[in-house]
Amino acid sequence: MDTHDQYGTTRSTEGLTSCPRVRRGWSRSSPRPFRGAALRLLAVAGAGALTLTVGQMTPLGPAPQQAEAKDDKQVLTVAVAQSVDSLSPFLAARLVSTSIHRLMYEYLTNYDPKDNHAIPGLATKWEPSADKLTWTYTIRDNSKWSDGKQATAEDAAWTFNTMMTDEGAATANGSFVANFRTVTAPSPTKLVIELKKPQATMAALDVPIVPKHVWEKVDDFSEFTNDKKFPIVGNGPFVLTAYKADSYVRLEPNKSFWRGAPKFDELVFKYYKDGDAAVAALQKGEVSFVSGLTPAQAAALKTQQDVTVNDAPGRRFYALATNPGAQAKNGKKFGDGHESLKNQKVRQALFTAVDRRTVIDKVFQGHAVEGEGYIPPRFSPYFWKPADGQQIAYDPAEAARLLDEAGYKKNGDGKRVGKNGEPITYRVLCHATDPPDKAVGKYLQEWWGKLGIGVSLDCRDNVSDPWLAGEYDLAFDGWSVNPDPDFVLSIHTCAALPATPEDIGATDNFICDKKYDELYDQQLAEYDATKRAEIVKRMESRLYDTGYMNVMAYPNAVEAYRTDQIASITKMPEAAGNIYGQDGYWSWWSATPAAASESSDDSSQTGVIIGIVAGVVILAGLGAFFALRRRATAEDRE
Amino acid sequence: MTTTDPDEPMPAPDEPVMARDEPEMARDEPVPARDEPLTASPAPAKAGPGALARQRRRASAVRFWQRYRTHRSGLFGLAALALFALVALTAPLTVGSDVQSVTGAPGRPMESPSLEFPLGTDQFGRSLFGLVVWGSRVSLLVGLLATVLSVAIGALIGITAGHFRGWFATVMMRITDWFLVMPTLVLAIALATVMSRSLGTIILAIGVTTWPTTARLVRAQTLAVESRPYIERAKALGGGHRHVMSRHVLPNVMPLVLAQTTLIISSSILAEATLAFLGLGDPTVVSWGGLLQDAREAGAVSAGKWWYLVPPGIAIAVVALSFTLCGRAVESVLNPKLGVAR
Repeated sequence: MDTHDQYGTTRSTEGLTSCPRVRRGWSRSSPRPFRGAALRLLAVAGAGALTLTVGQMTPLGPAPQQAEAKDDKQVLTVAVAQSVDSLSPFLAARLVSTSIHRLMYEYLTNYDPKDNHAIPGLATKWEPSADKLTWTYTIRDNSKWSDGKQATAEDAAWTFNTMMTDEGAATANGSFVANFRTVTAPSPTKLVIELKKPQATMAALDVPIVPKHVWEKVDDFSEFTNDKKFPIVGNGPFVLTAYKADSYVRLEPNKSFWRGAPKFDELVFKYYKDGDAAVAALQKGEVSFVSGLTPAQAAALKTQQDVTVNDAPGRRFYALATNPGAQAKNGKKFGDGHESLKNQKVRQALFTAVDRRTVIDKVFQGHAVEGEGYIPPRFSPYFWKPADGQQIAYDPAEAARLLDEAGYKKNGDGKRVGKNGEPITYRVLCHATDPPDKAVGKYLQEWWGKLGIGVSLDCRDNVSDPWLAGEYDLAFDGWSVNPDPDFVLSIHTCAALPATPEDIGATDNFICDKKYDELYDQQLAEYDATKRAEIVKRMESRLYDTGYMNVMAYPNAVEAYRTDQIASITKMPEAAGNIYGQDGYWSWWSATPAAASESSDDSSQTGVIIGIVAGVVILAGLGAFFALRRRATAEDRE
Repeated sequence: MTTTDPDEPMPAPDEPVMARDEPEMARDEPVPARDEPLTASPAPAKAGPGALARQRRRASAVRFWQRYRTHRSGLFGLAALALFALVALTAPLTVGSDVQSVTGAPGRPMESPSLEFPLGTDQFGRSLFGLVVWGSRVSLLVGLLATVLSVAIGALIGITAGHFRGWFATVMMRITDWFLVMPTLVLAIALATVMSRSLGTIILAIGVTTWPTTARLVRAQTLAVESRPYIERAKALGGGHRHVMSRHVLPNVMPLVLAQTTLIISSSILAEATLAFLGLGDPTVVSWGGLLQDAREAGAVSAGKWWYLVPPGIAIAVVALSFTLCGRAVESVLNPKLGVAR
């Protein structure tokens, strides 16, 4: 792009007499000064080449030290791409942030890595009263905050009370405490929660418990991001010691962690916004673990030595969400979603024209399961499939019929027009960092294009702004589901809508459906696991029928790690599960370092030798070149 | 185009650019060929001024071609460009727009080159050969349009700044300087980020960031032209600002602008590829840079699927090189200061 040197260079004034020999070179300036210049250049080039060689040689010194340092400190480096939305547990909703919070803070309960049942966390046991409205938790006495203070029931009570009273603190996990009447801590080891109505999620409160003595100084929970003072006081298996946005998150093991200290000396989440760069780093051994591999990357890594590829059923769903008209709890409408999407028939027509089989085969290339219901099959108690008559199968003709029925007919150009007479073009919000979004977007463009509907893909690095403002028509959406599905169900209730258009609600897509909300309340109040699962399935059925969310796939967790750096690591579920983004801290807490290998020293030696040889060759080449040039100019002079 | 002088004849609208920069003519004759009367009515076969003008134009075109022909690299560039233009223009006939369809993709994902798919397939199973051919349309189109925009802005600012001088020129040149010192790529990325992702955005982002060099060059040439005596004569005859700029200055800076255009096109194509590669292009449009971006996102680099990366990369390099070679050749033919055949 820089062309401004085109006319800046000195032009020859030699005229037409110059002979063809000059063509090859740049020596259009008069010969005499050139000779001096050539000598100078030669000297400079020689010096440059020497510096180059020296530059290559210097690693000889530091390299062994570095290796030693590495032996001293076992670092587990994990490549991540998703940006941290907030380090405050009251605000964080993204997978990377909540996973890190699992490492930093202990929750009341945890999930067993084998079968997801609730096991002790900060609480050692929990029991309900006879009417199941009062729950008593026994808080363990061997959990300390990293600043030395004891973690007590008072901290837990304060955390919950803050979320109940402060709107800002309820941003991320408010759904868990919406039904709490009071939370008290009669003694340091006893936490009592009284409920308004029965709540089924009492053994699965996915809420990080924060130290009261640190957090009570915070003024505004909706602003405080918890990333100013390091190390951040916590009681999880790791302590966060450093963080730089989109650069790294550094954690050190909590030596006094009650379940046992992690084996690695340091855990670093390092940012690679580019998937191929992360894979290259894994291949070179700069990172120990990479997740979110593309099919091609997985296939390539499978053949690589010292790398294990884990391809397991994931806990995510991958969906296409519609904007049903953004609204706030106070009834105010905002955003500019297309009016046609308020029509259920239109939504269903759009999804009837989506061939999920192709998405699985072509985009995920088999590394995913075809999606229908809201909750992935991995959580079998809640997994639901539409009945035969209910199912929205791929059928473009049916889709066209539904659109005609809804009154969106084709105009003379074959484009369907909206109520305002304008051809319909939907803006589809996609994550620029997520390759499947773009790929599926291309298919949508063709599938819906055949229906007469235009698609403009709006791919952004950060989709939050238009999303929260309701300024989109459809969006690629996906959530990681917890063993207890309450949270992912709660984000579609009316209660999750933002209070006013200016606020941020927990809502996913501004969905507000009475029937769904009724069922949500029912399931939350149902203690019988089987009955509750039935209600959850009815909710999924309702969500499916509304056509607000079209689940296209349940992507596998496709990830890889270096076996020469990580000897063993726990998957969740253990038999076939994911490593990154677990419901718990199992993977990083359990990871054991592999015995140090010596191969790296050899390679650096070879590198140095190659560097020296290359330097010498360049030097010799330059010397010969300038010698030749000098001769050429000498000839020119005659 | 209004002329202030009623006696001033209208020039032929389709007058070739090259006719204007006859070095000898510019030096010896204050009024160049373009001021010859219009040949609106069929001119007599001989001796008419229109016929004379045509003759002279033809002669200078021939002379231009004869000079250009001596540049072997320029000929190579021209041949390569002609080939690419042919490929791009005939793409609807040869590969058809179906080639970019993902739903009708004929192959399996990332197949290696075979007889059926000479350059293999991409992540959707589309033929990469077809995509590279089809992508040439967008890459060339964006390169050309962005260049036209860039050169138009540059020429406009350069001529006006050179003509009016004074505070206007100072302001314009400071703006130019500002754009000149701004890192072009960063500015283009910023522009492409804030605007919606479309071809228009890319064209605009490249166009408004690459014009300063043209503006500077054109201004310098304008100053040189305006110091010639015939400009003074034109003014004395009542030629206004617009007349002087459009009838005298513009034709004389045209050769420079033309050479600059051919040189900027190559950097525009590279810039388009860069922006598309960085994911700032329209993801649904097939272009060479977009193909590279797709390849990177699909993990073709680490998976060693070279056929996904190499063809679009080579295509970009060859086209950029061809334009540069042509530009250099045109430049040395048209710019009297260079004078020498290289």
